[in-house]
Amino acid sequence: MARFHNRKKKVFVKPIVKKQQQQQPNVDHITGNKIPKSFVFSRGKLPGPLRQLQMDLRKLMLPYTALKLKEKKRNNLKDFLNVAGPMGVTHFLILSKTETSPVLRVAKTPQGPTLTFKIHEYSLAVDIAQSQLRPRCPQDLFKNPPLIVLSGFAAADEQLRLTTTMFKNIFPDIDINTVKLSSCQRIVLLNYNKDTKLIDFRHYSIRLQPVGVSRRIRKFVQNHQVPDLRNLQDVSDFVTKAGYGSESEADEEAATVTLTSDLSRVNRASTKSAVKLQEIGPRMTLQLTKIEGGLCSGEVMFSEYGNGGNKKKPGNEGNEKEDSENDGQMEDSDEDDEADNEEDMEESGED
Amino acid sequence: MTMEEGSFTAGKRKRNLGKKKGNKAKNKKLKMLEGKGKKFRVSKKMRNLFEKRARDYNSDNEEEEEKEDTAEEAVPHDTPRGRGGDISFEGTDDSEGEEQEGGEIQPGIMRFTEGVRAFRLAFKNIIKRNVADDSLGPVLAGHKQLVAKKLAEEKAERKVKGEAKKEKHLVAEKGHVKPANYLDSQEKFLIGIATKGVVKLFNAVNKAQKAQKGLDPSRSKDAKVIRKRRKEAFFSELGKTSLPARDSSSKGNTSSDSMNDEGPAWAPLRDNYMLTNPKLKDWDKMADSTIVDDVGRMSEDSGSDDN
Repeated sequence: MARFHNRKKKVFVKPIVKKQQQQQPNVDHITGNKIPKSFVFSRGKLPGPLRQLQMDLRKLMLPYTALKLKEKKRNNLKDFLNVAGPMGVTHFLILSKTETSPVLRVAKTPQGPTLTFKIHEYSLAVDIAQSQLRPRCPQDLFKNPPLIVLSGFAAADEQLRLTTTMFKNIFPDIDINTVKLSSCQRIVLLNYNKDTKLIDFRHYSIRLQPVGVSRRIRKFVQNHQVPDLRNLQDVSDFVTKAGYGSESEADEEAATVTLTSDLSRVNRASTKSAVKLQEIGPRMTLQLTKIEGGLCSGEVMFSEYGNGGNKKKPGNEGNEKEDSENDGQMEDSDEDDEADNEEDMEESGED
Repeated sequence: MTMEEGSFTAGKRKRNLGKKKGNKAKNKKLKMLEGKGKKFRVSKKMRNLFEKRARDYNSDNEEEEEKEDTAEEAVPHDTPRGRGGDISFEGTDDSEGEEQEGGEIQPGIMRFTEGVRAFRLAFKNIIKRNVADDSLGPVLAGHKQLVAKKLAEEKAERKVKGEAKKEKHLVAEKGHVKPANYLDSQEKFLIGIATKGVVKLFNAVNKAQKAQKGLDPSRSKDAKVIRKRRKEAFFSELGKTSLPARDSSSKGNTSSDSMNDEGPAWAPLRDNYMLTNPKLKDWDKMADSTIVDDVGRMSEDSGSDDN
């Protein structure tokens, strides 16, 4: 019995030690820049699929996010804010649901601006994996932060510029001189469509494949497995006989990179590699509806439906009013009176 | 049977009583349990049970009977009538036996059987009831229509509930779209954009890291060389007009340099400002070999300050 006790104690001690090791730095040790960290949480009760979306977003924000952030009904925004300070959290991604559509708010803490996006459509990571023949998920896919590509935001509108800076700063900067290409495994794409005013949010995994090597040899090098030579006359056939060419290899001449250093067993230095992207993670179609000066409160700097918007979209007016009312309900109960007043004002302004 | 058992038990009880008078009060139950083990176990148990029931029944009955006499006279009246009519034969026999027994030892047993008789009568009453309506079927399903009505109601309720649930599910799934199995043009376009971005970045990284290839940035000696090479790369980059993004960054650098040089406010905005500045040219002559490095350092330092 005594022996068992000892063993148990040893096992119990282990995770504590691990926890101490796992503490993440607030500052990048090479460039000295502050690393942005994020919380992804929800306000109000979310239905099942949206909760899954929240989980997907957390995975997307890895490694500088709280993957297992526990939230309770009575937690209000101030609670998260209080925790955010000591933890060095710089961004909040807040999911909530209104009657018309789910809403994603991206806010900078502690007092930065808040962008409110209406989620027109979304697909979960699971849905996307199901739609693919071979979903790809290497082990260390989520160990490094993703790259971000913003395209189509060239318009000079102030709200778009703010959006780009917000999303640029949500992920850590990369220093071109020191970054390792092997750590660039994922990419987040935000594409702004001028005509529809919608933002396409995509999340891809990056894969490099050597160009000009037949599929058989590539697989052979990758897998270490003895190839099946039953149908061949000679060993040389294995190398010379061309297998089925990749269907997309021909038309993607532009998507090739010449590497300067070894990336993996297959992608060696000074060989040409093709960049292949495969979608993972959630897919969203967002519409920027509102920008507030404060954290989920404060002066409204931009509103899709506000002011001049009334004439444009009379049908959506009522919905928007509902939305803002719902927002008000979901807002913390103990929020300042001032903020409440401002919200009232905003609502009346919309009327 | 009952009579025999009754007499046996009675006899035994007497014997027991005679034997153990001293510690009767405490050990009575224990002794009785011991006695059960052998021959008369069943009868004793039963008798105990009967005794108990009789006691209960009697105590209840005395109160109830008074009430029954006043309030419901139907039950006591019914029993003799039923007995006389249908089951007179058995009934009378039983009652006689019970009367003999009950009179002597336990009146409760008789009462008990009387209760059975009452139940029998009630059951008979139900069976006797003639069922006219054919659709109603047997007695116990007499309220078939009611049952059907209730079932229909439940079904409707369930339907309403299901609809509500469906609606709720629809609201929960709002905006949730399952992607198609193939890549449509829009997705291909997006992947193309992302790929372009990745390629651009990778190429830039390769270009930047080519300069410091084979050198370890942590060693001070190598670090110096790396810095020098970076400056060279930066300077060569400065020499040619390139992307607009790069333009803006070089602008920032040169404008801050202009403060040191005290040149015209807007002149530094030109890309080749550093190269064509007469002051720099003079300075150039002073130290031929280091010009490139120095200018590079100046501009880079200011650049890092900006960042």
